[in-house]
Amino acid sequence: MKSNSAEAVFKKKRDRRRQLAKLPFEKKIEIVLELQKVAAEIRKDPARRIRPK
Amino acid sequence: MEKTLKAIEEMTRLGIIRAYAIGGGIAATYYIEPVLTYDLGVFFIPVKPGLDELAPIYEFARGRGYVEQAEALIIEGFPVQFIPVFNDLVREAVVNAATLTYRGVEGKVVKAEYLVAIALQTGRTKDRERAARLLDSESVDRTELAKILERHGLVDRLNQLEGEPGEE
Repeated sequence: MKSNSAEAVFKKKRDRRRQLAKLPFEKKIEIVLELQKVAAEIRKDPARRIRPK
Repeated sequence: MEKTLKAIEEMTRLGIIRAYAIGGGIAATYYIEPVLTYDLGVFFIPVKPGLDELAPIYEFARGRGYVEQAEALIIEGFPVQFIPVFNDLVREAVVNAATLTYRGVEGKVVKAEYLVAIALQTGRTKDRERAARLLDSESVDRTELAKILERHGLVDRLNQLEGEPGEE
């Protein structure tokens, strides 16, 4: 089963990844460091717990 | 991270390691979009292969006041995980590393074709996903990749990956 809408979304995502891939390495490392901060915040968030202790 | 790269380069100059190349998520980030990773993975060829190939690195690190954190060393504020080359493919990847520049500092990085090959060889879900992303990028020389995969018996792994439905 193929969905044209889904295909369009996937294409946009691929295009976005390719754009990001072209960024200077220095900029990419800045983004990695930001991603680390975001991930750390998510880990700290008690609402994230998916299983009762 | 530039000071971290300088320190690793210095280890090579001082003969603490024979050669190195950045691998893992940071190497992938060099070629594709930024990926979440927590340390700088460094494959290295030890000067003296043996039982404790990490010992000279840790000795150097202690001398510099770098601390250990889990399986990494914090070098100039950045966690670095040193991994001795553990098979012929990884050794070849280090020997044939490319040069990257980060804020004016040069470092060695595993070439995209070797990253794909190592990811296919390792075969975890995240490695296969990384291999797919690299293959989808414009950074992989398919002819070079085919030669590497042939040499290391990994052609079937690539065929299997490419036979799977595309990722979203």
